[in-house]
Amino acid sequence: MTEFLQLLISGLMEGGLYALLAASIVLVYKSTQVASLAHGQILAFGAIFLYIFLATLHLPLVIALILAFAATALMGLLIERTTLRPLIGQPLFSSFLVTFAVFMLFDGIFQLIVKGGTLTIPHFLPAGTLHAGALMVPAGQLCSFIAALILFGILGLMFRYTKVGLGLRASAENHQLARSTGISVKQIFSIIWVISALVACVAGIATANVTDIYYTLPQMGIKGLIVALFGGLESIPGALIGGIILGILENLSAGYLDPVVGGGLKEVAAYIMLLLILLIKPYGLFGLVRIERI
Amino acid sequence: MRPCGIFDERYTQDMAILRTKQHWALLVGALILLYLFPLFGSYYLVSFLNNLFITIIVVLGLQIVSGYCGQISFGQPAFMAVGGYASAILTLKAGVSFWLALPLSGLIAGVFGIIGGAPSLRIKGFYLAIATIAIHFVTMWLILHLKITGATQGLNPMPPEIFGFPLDTDERMYYLIATVMLIMTFGARNLVRSKVGRAFVAIRDNDLAAEVMGMNLYHYKLLAFFISCFFAGIAGSLYGHLIMVVHPEQYTLTHALWYVGMIIIGGMGSIPGTFFGVIFVRVLDELVLFASPFLSEAFPWLGASPAAALGLSAFGLVLIVFLVFEPRGLAHRWEIFKASYRLYPFAY
Amino acid sequence: MKRKGWVLLFGVMMLALASGPASVYAAEKTAAFLDLTDMTGAIAGLAGQASRITKATFDYFNERGGIDGVKIKYIGVDTRYDVARALSAYKRYRRTPRLLLANTIGTGLGKAIYPLILRDKIINYTPGDGEFQARLGRTFIYSTPYQDGFSAALDWMKEDWQKKGNSGAPIVGFTSWDNPYGREPFRGGKEYAAKIGVKLLDPELFPVGSLKHDVWLNRLAAKGANYIYVCGVDPTPTNVIRDAYALGLTKKIQFVTDYWGPDRAVGVKAHAEALEGSVVVSCFSRGTDTLNHPIMTKIWKKYMKTPVNEMRGSASIGFSWAMHFIEGLRIALKDVGYEKLNGEAMYQAFMKLKGHNVTQGATGICDYSPSSRRMSRYVKFYRIQGAELVPITDWRLAPDAVSLHKF
Repeated sequence: MTEFLQLLISGLMEGGLYALLAASIVLVYKSTQVASLAHGQILAFGAIFLYIFLATLHLPLVIALILAFAATALMGLLIERTTLRPLIGQPLFSSFLVTFAVFMLFDGIFQLIVKGGTLTIPHFLPAGTLHAGALMVPAGQLCSFIAALILFGILGLMFRYTKVGLGLRASAENHQLARSTGISVKQIFSIIWVISALVACVAGIATANVTDIYYTLPQMGIKGLIVALFGGLESIPGALIGGIILGILENLSAGYLDPVVGGGLKEVAAYIMLLLILLIKPYGLFGLVRIERI
Repeated sequence: MRPCGIFDERYTQDMAILRTKQHWALLVGALILLYLFPLFGSYYLVSFLNNLFITIIVVLGLQIVSGYCGQISFGQPAFMAVGGYASAILTLKAGVSFWLALPLSGLIAGVFGIIGGAPSLRIKGFYLAIATIAIHFVTMWLILHLKITGATQGLNPMPPEIFGFPLDTDERMYYLIATVMLIMTFGARNLVRSKVGRAFVAIRDNDLAAEVMGMNLYHYKLLAFFISCFFAGIAGSLYGHLIMVVHPEQYTLTHALWYVGMIIIGGMGSIPGTFFGVIFVRVLDELVLFASPFLSEAFPWLGASPAAALGLSAFGLVLIVFLVFEPRGLAHRWEIFKASYRLYPFAY
Repeated sequence: MKRKGWVLLFGVMMLALASGPASVYAAEKTAAFLDLTDMTGAIAGLAGQASRITKATFDYFNERGGIDGVKIKYIGVDTRYDVARALSAYKRYRRTPRLLLANTIGTGLGKAIYPLILRDKIINYTPGDGEFQARLGRTFIYSTPYQDGFSAALDWMKEDWQKKGNSGAPIVGFTSWDNPYGREPFRGGKEYAAKIGVKLLDPELFPVGSLKHDVWLNRLAAKGANYIYVCGVDPTPTNVIRDAYALGLTKKIQFVTDYWGPDRAVGVKAHAEALEGSVVVSCFSRGTDTLNHPIMTKIWKKYMKTPVNEMRGSASIGFSWAMHFIEGLRIALKDVGYEKLNGEAMYQAFMKLKGHNVTQGATGICDYSPSSRRMSRYVKFYRIQGAELVPITDWRLAPDAVSLHKF
């Protein structure tokens, strides 16, 4: 029982981070219909920026955080302006492929920076381990998880109660109609990329706080995409639930099935789950079923 | 490539791939050059061409399923692995001759491709693309954990023999690989202008419309996956016997990204485009390899000759440029060139 | 104009491609060392720097007139831990005049390149697979085999266990990458554990590049492991121990890593607190020992242009690659002369290295001989104390575990 609960907790903590990344992908998809792999790199660079400002330039924490957020937002904006905006009007699939290209471009740069080592962001969240009976919860991980939940709350509120949120929701429904009510859809695209980059940046910092900046960090992007597909590409609650389910499933399969099949199941579990869900519910748990016309 | 003033008078003329005497002369010349190349080309160029030809076979398969049928697949390296392992197991454990194992490995990979292509029945677009990524990882995990594949040890297939004469060097394998590549190209070129090829294009352009017209969508989608994986399997088998090893670490997802990039750069839905794309990307990668020592000397913070990372970045950049400025790829340039050649000396 | 541009671009590219390999011929006497290394991938943290110091060592000797007048040409290729890339790079350079040795970092790559090396009759360095010791081919292990190192660690664990006042033998867990390298220590190590009566738990293998390792650590802890042997190239072992520290396991369990373990300038720099007290069993000098090595520090200061303090433990790996090559070359030149110098001569020369103190303390006494492909049979134990690796033993002979396993 203890083992099961321990796996559940580990899964929950990891799942929260997946969910946050998935949320940033869902944000972009909701309003621009582009599923982005580039967010894996935005996440990684969010962590790198913080590392640069905090560890190499030795700026105070608050300034470093603000600068890292600004730099990541700029990066999101640049990606949108240079690669995705010229593709408006082209088939959506080109936009998807261009995010792959962006991923590769930044992956090369990322590898040059990390050079196979790890970069450790100086700890600014509490360290240590919390014990509840026989269960162990690393405090840093718990902080990251709580930060993820808070951000989810903020996103929900923003969508519901602000004017920008209203515009975002309107353009998500229908570009033409949104335009006719005086909303600049192009501007909305930029805003959404900035917001989504910020969310990815928080996810990156939260992840790097637990796992450091390791050379496979950008590959979280694929995980994020899987979670987004799993929960449904249009649904932010879907991202949260999908992320947590994935985190728990990964840990449970590694915990109980690894000894049976000989290891390595943690990574594969996500993909098997994805294949199953795509066969049963192609648009994810909470996704909109698209009706196509000829 | 038809000069100005030549017109078709019969259907057979219109359908011919080679239309003029110049065509035939060019083809024969190119073939002679191709087959005599190992006699004067350096060893390095021969082995480079071997890799290039194998890549062309894989990417031709990808071109059929993605460029013609519109089902983007990132599973090509996994199916290459299936082909390579099938061939290695058949020759090593079942004692089958290489010449039988080669087509068989293609077929086996093709059958796996039908299984792998099954999600395409329900999903398309990037849903399918992500599903094929999932298939890649599941396949590679299986290979790493099965006994028959040698698990982490891999297998060592022997070089093929022809009448007791072993094809054990790159120069000797070159003839085999070049021949297979030509046959596959010929097959692909003819396939895409047959009924099947037209059905693929119809599905790519609008699958619902194609279905309404009475096409069996599932049949053609699975057929496209079968054919593409057949190509991958053949290439995997050739590659395994060329380097005499099949190992789980040879087939990574990065390769799948490169293959998809190649058809984008070359031009989706074009057989010559496949060639352009593969050659362009491979040459680019080689150039980066040459340039990286100088770059790392000029910019010490890059570290020592970081060719792989720079190659990745260069490739990503080129891909972005092509997607944004020339989405139809190099094949489109080639068409423009052909059209202007046909009209010469007139402007239009 | 546009079309011309395209044609011109293509022409230039082809020209550059064709002229590249032709320009490698040089007038002076050279012998070539091909380094298929990883500068930006999974093992770049250690391998990358090892390669750089190899090059620096060659530069150092070349500037002093080479080895009996023969200069060493270092060819480094970044393969990013990709077997296919490395193989095509090998093919591209294999006809380099007087290519004597290809250094392949990566167990999978070592296996893949084995047939090619036999065919080309050159020699090959590979990390630590006992398999090559068993096969006695042209592949030379540049360390003690992984299983020998693991067995030496098992010996140490048993000793340490009894020293702490416990009776019997400890329970040992093993966790590593799920790839060929990760499984190697077990082939032979398992047999040795049975021989000395140490209870070895089932290995916990995790995918290369995993970000978190809680599941596997928790399971080992639940099974009652007293010691955990962690494999993987730094920063992987650091990451594993970091997770164990976060779970509070380092207090109860002693962590031991192999020679790719936490390095003073990679993992230890990042997580000194978590790593405190962990033990590294290494066939290369690490930590403070590297900082005191006379030649290595000299080479470092001159060619790497960074403070000696940033020297990684893997510097001694790179230094040892270079020094064994140089020593082998010297013997080969004495035996056959420059004109007949080839891979075969180098192979014969390498088998005469047994007993030489090639690296002057960066590694143990050399063991290459007709019946041995082990670089050395000696290992040294280091403990991480105050962000530095401090030796806790002298060089000691590792048990022969390779012969216990049937390959």
